Amino acid sequence: MWVKLILLLLFCLMILGAVHFAPPRESGEPSSSAKVVHSLRLLTWNIGYAELEDDTRAHDKDLTAVAEVILRQDPDAVALQELTGNAQLNILLSLLHGKYRGAVAQQGKTDRFEAVLVKDTGATFIPVAVGGRYALGASFKPREATRQVLLLSAHADAFNAARRRTYTEALIDWAQARAQSSEVFIAGDFNFELKAANETNLYTDNLKHDSESYSHILRYFRDLGRAAGDTAINDRRIDYIFGPPALAQIGRVEVLRDAAVGRMDHWPLLVEVGL
Amino acid sequence: MITLLKLELEKLFRARSFYLSFIALIAFVALMLWGFYTYAARKTGGEAVEQFKYTYESKQYFNGLTFALYSLLFSFTLLLPIFVSMSAGSQIASEARAGTLRMICTRPISRASLILSKFLVSAFHAGLLLTFFIGLNLVIGLIFVGWGNLELYPGPLNLVDVPGKIMRDEALMRFGYAALSGTWALLVVAALALLCSVIFDSPVQATVMTIAAYLTLYIIGRVEFFEHLRPYFFTTDMDFWRDVFKPDIPWQSLWHYACVCGAYTTGLLLATVLIFERKDIVT
Repeated sequence: MWVKLILLLLFCLMILGAVHFAPPRESGEPSSSAKVVHSLRLLTWNIGYAELEDDTRAHDKDLTAVAEVILRQDPDAVALQELTGNAQLNILLSLLHGKYRGAVAQQGKTDRFEAVLVKDTGATFIPVAVGGRYALGASFKPREATRQVLLLSAHADAFNAARRRTYTEALIDWAQARAQSSEVFIAGDFNFELKAANETNLYTDNLKHDSESYSHILRYFRDLGRAAGDTAINDRRIDYIFGPPALAQIGRVEVLRDAAVGRMDHWPLLVEVGL
Repeated sequence: MITLLKLELEKLFRARSFYLSFIALIAFVALMLWGFYTYAARKTGGEAVEQFKYTYESKQYFNGLTFALYSLLFSFTLLLPIFVSMSAGSQIASEARAGTLRMICTRPISRASLILSKFLVSAFHAGLLLTFFIGLNLVIGLIFVGWGNLELYPGPLNLVDVPGKIMRDEALMRFGYAALSGTWALLVVAALALLCSVIFDSPVQATVMTIAAYLTLYIIGRVEFFEHLRPYFFTTDMDFWRDVFKPDIPWQSLWHYACVCGAYTTGLLLATVLIFERKDIVT
């Protein structure tokens, strides 16, 4: 009898212990810090579609919704990915009522383009050749008193981790060389698969390549959107905004999960920082 | 109870499968050493440097502690549960198969005490296996790969979100913690195997059913279709033992999952006792 009583007692104790030590539930509120700073507000968004569609690039019919999100959030600069080209950018700029200037990257080996939109009328756009692909940089001053800011819009290969690694290495080399003269931010869809639980194997080259890429970026930059969680469907965090490691303040960091329209598989990531 | 434990321990040490489990682990460590050694040599050689410009995989990264960690994490999920299932699954069923169970139950000992002593012996075997395995990995790692700090990176092993480092002495302590947390997690499998051992009269059937249940939940837990069911599988909760290798141990979460595993273990043991007490032993 005493064995059963001891087991029952232990069972109850374990249940009580599990309840007592249960981690606090995450609130449904968007992730953000209490102190909101407005020095620089950046947004990145891959506005392309999920792979199920015939054309996975951005669709013209969604641009109104994209423009509405941008106007509502009012970022200083926006990094966009998977545009079809200049024509689409011009439609978007007109929907933004002239509040932003923008450019698309040069065409690389793919059929889609990165773009940057900036409020500052004095902004200059810089093409960045990264292997067979092109990223796009925009140099601007968000406020008179602040340093020059360089925002890169990047999109790494979706299907090959080794190519993502090569791309990341070249991009970081390029950005690092400009970190002395500007506050460099890198925003975009890097497609890193870093959750080992999503892999069927215990250890894969793909996982390791993405690990090396991400770790390499973190040697020089800070992952500003980490607290905001997943940025794409299927619980993936593949969109990032990286910034200087010595940033004075980080304010609002949020993934705008109600922003996607149509068959978009990414949500925009918004980050506010104090320079 | 003490006499019962002594007798059960004697049976354990006499069993051939007890020594087989250690031999299998030694073979696994040898295989891991060969894989790790050749991989490390390849990755710190010319080939890797030619293809990519930057890597964290240096001679400093590939050390005995990294080797022990990889070996432990790879084997814990699929290898150790098999031996624990074999050991616990044969406890009652092998007595039934050999025809000695009826005789044991005619002695003036309660069936609950018998179950408890058999479980404690299985738990001892699980603890010994894991401690031996960790110790062997560390010794082999020290001799053949060399010492250093434990460097952790996001992605592989799924332990950290950002690159981190655990200093050598602290890392050795963490392996000690892992022996405790890992054994505690394995007790769930042991309790399940003991339950199967009471239900089935064949030790093979009991072991296979335990492994089948474990693997089914483990595999289903890795398939995205069943993402929402994942939190309800004991295989998910068992994963808590790895948290001791995070640079900052999440103690609250660790205690929570340790208690959940404890609840599974004691709940299964209670069910085993209740079933065994009502069991008509005919062999």
